[in-house]
Amino acid sequence: MMLSALLVAMAATLPGDLEGPQPVDSTGTPVEAKAIAPARATVFKAAKIYVGDGTVIENGSIVVQDGVITQVGAKVETPKGATVVEHDGAISPGLIALHSNEGAGGELLDSTREVMPEAEARHAFAPHHSDYRRARQAGITSLVLAPSSANLIGGQSAVVKTAGGKVVKPSAHLAVSVSSDALNFNRFPTSYAGAMKELNDRFSEPEGAVARAVSGALPVLVDVNDRAEIGRALGFVKKFQLKGALYGSYWAEDLAEPIKESGMAVIATPFDVGDGERQMRSIVALQKVGVRIGFGLDAPARHPHSLRLGAAMCVRAGMPADAARKALTGDAAIIAGIPGRIGRLARGLDADIVLWSGDPVALSSAVEGVYIDGKHVFGGEK
Amino acid sequence: MILTAILALAGGATLAPAPQSITIATDVLYTGAGEARENMLVTITDGKISAIGPGRPAGEDSLHVAAITAGMVDLSSRINSGTTSVEETHEVTPQYRVADSLDFYDQSWARQLRHGVTTVVSSPFDNNCIGGLSVALKTGGEPTIEARQVKADVALRGAFGSQPSSKNHPAFGRPTDFYSRRPTTRMGVEWIWRKAFYDALYAEGNEDRAFDGVEQLVAALNGEVPVFAQAWATQDIRTAVYLKEEMAGEGKPNMRLIIDCGAEAWRELDFLVRTKTSVVLPPFPADGRTGDGAFFAGDAAAKLHEAGVPIALSSHNSMLTGGFLGDQAAYARRGGLSFDAALAAVTITPARMIGIADRVGTIEVGKDGDLALWNGTPFELSSKVVGVVLDGELVIDPR
Repeated sequence: MMLSALLVAMAATLPGDLEGPQPVDSTGTPVEAKAIAPARATVFKAAKIYVGDGTVIENGSIVVQDGVITQVGAKVETPKGATVVEHDGAISPGLIALHSNEGAGGELLDSTREVMPEAEARHAFAPHHSDYRRARQAGITSLVLAPSSANLIGGQSAVVKTAGGKVVKPSAHLAVSVSSDALNFNRFPTSYAGAMKELNDRFSEPEGAVARAVSGALPVLVDVNDRAEIGRALGFVKKFQLKGALYGSYWAEDLAEPIKESGMAVIATPFDVGDGERQMRSIVALQKVGVRIGFGLDAPARHPHSLRLGAAMCVRAGMPADAARKALTGDAAIIAGIPGRIGRLARGLDADIVLWSGDPVALSSAVEGVYIDGKHVFGGEK
Repeated sequence: MILTAILALAGGATLAPAPQSITIATDVLYTGAGEARENMLVTITDGKISAIGPGRPAGEDSLHVAAITAGMVDLSSRINSGTTSVEETHEVTPQYRVADSLDFYDQSWARQLRHGVTTVVSSPFDNNCIGGLSVALKTGGEPTIEARQVKADVALRGAFGSQPSSKNHPAFGRPTDFYSRRPTTRMGVEWIWRKAFYDALYAEGNEDRAFDGVEQLVAALNGEVPVFAQAWATQDIRTAVYLKEEMAGEGKPNMRLIIDCGAEAWRELDFLVRTKTSVVLPPFPADGRTGDGAFFAGDAAAKLHEAGVPIALSSHNSMLTGGFLGDQAAYARRGGLSFDAALAAVTITPARMIGIADRVGTIEVGKDGDLALWNGTPFELSSKVVGVVLDGELVIDPR
């Protein structure tokens, strides 16, 4: 990717003959000129463009070249020979599912050891798994593969694309669990007392990935269920000055203020149609006090569409639609740790683009086209 | 900054927060530190008792009750998080703190507070021989350990009797889980206790033999932290006392023992007096039988008190076994315990057992502003707690 971008840049500055040896492929055959010629640009036009940072562009365009967004706005310069996609609907950045096990089910928990900070979720990433096709069809272009919360320290999460097989960020978070999920009747720990002491011991004398978390270089994803666990998690992140997000929102409403003070984001646990009001109230209350929100995806147990379902239900419960869209895109990218790469429609970011029939957080809207790194991967026009 | 200082000087005390003060009138005041006195006023300022003196209510709206005692103290409140409060992967886990497992959103805390219990001890669930460190807490306030903790690590908690071995089974064939390697009998439980203490004795003089939890075991042997052990039945109370005497013979005469749930302690008066052991009694059962089939006589509290054994009453946070701590004092009164002894058994004696008597347990100037407000004579079944003050805050208003 970097190489081709570089070559394109060279082609732009040195029209005509290239200096130096002619590029060859792995068999030694000279690479044809078309491979280094500037790729054709694509221009997407739509009545509404949801940028991903909460702003909206009416009747705007997006120019994509070599998988990267080069222009966004009401007026853009259409490059020569560009393909123009006129979309009758809305466009948003690709959705980002936080805390997911898509395409890696069963591979994100090593139940033999309760603490394994050096385990990396990226090694469980099977890019051609059919889960990713379903995810793309739901408008999800990136997701955070996170180690299971059934271990005290499950390992490191990875941000991956749902098409193209890219690991965008190999070590995105350290997965920590203070929830009852980490307690196991047949191995250590069986108790919160054991869990908290072990975590305190590990973080007091940190090594490896834990040391990176303590230094602030590696954010943590802390799994929580009930209010007592949230309280313990906040005490824990405060003690070690950790950054990152809590995963588990069901009971967070009563602790919205202390969560805000902690600086932690909150990843909403996946929604079901039958979920109680509490889950939604909780997210609405957190958003209101200014806690950064993202949505988790417990696929394949739930269909990837449940990601958007959660956002829509929160809007129904009183969350501003702009905030909900941000939580699925721009804010999710911040929680994932790569806002400079995905989550918004802005110059220089990956061209992960979804064409919608209407507003992404309206459940009546359908996904009509998906592009990842500028490549057409579902529906829409090629 | 300088400007603020000048303003502060100019305005006198205007910038300092006004002291929070509350005064309550009572027909009878039971301070727990002397005679009961009639027509008294108790004032609490900024959470601490600041004045006690004769007086009558200022007006009709003012706080006025029939009787005031200190907020009650329950050493065996049993508010913990059940099996998730004890680390069962080992049978001896002195290094773990129950404080890390408490759920302050549990309704039990508020229920205890409503009934005049302002301080409780939470201990690990008794599925281990030595389960970990207990903590003393207030029953109200912000739902965090920092806000509620009176004192950390007030006791090393453990259990004798059948409970620590109740889930275990011998490892015939291939073990299926870790319960196949723990004690299965009272003998086994006692052996685990002794081994833990002897391991600690050896480790004390030899760093190569140190292990997780040795620090807490040595502190218990040296009497720096009491051993708070569940032992319902005669044989289990004896086991605990024998162990204490054996350790005295090994050069550790200062170990302090508090028996919890000592239902049959009334049968073992000589043992308890001889070893200066304290006893926390379980709630009075409807039919006399308690845990481990122990028989809890109605006059047990009176007998122990007469023999000179320090006693505390407890509620186990249970409405099924006979109600709240105030009611337990009433039952003990019916069994022959004097009023003063009953009052002490739910206030200052338990506070002394775990070393928090400087903060709670009596109504004295300088102590925490924790009060139980009664509508009649305390520990009569016709009276109840109608108001509660916790750290100077009127959390239950009797009006």
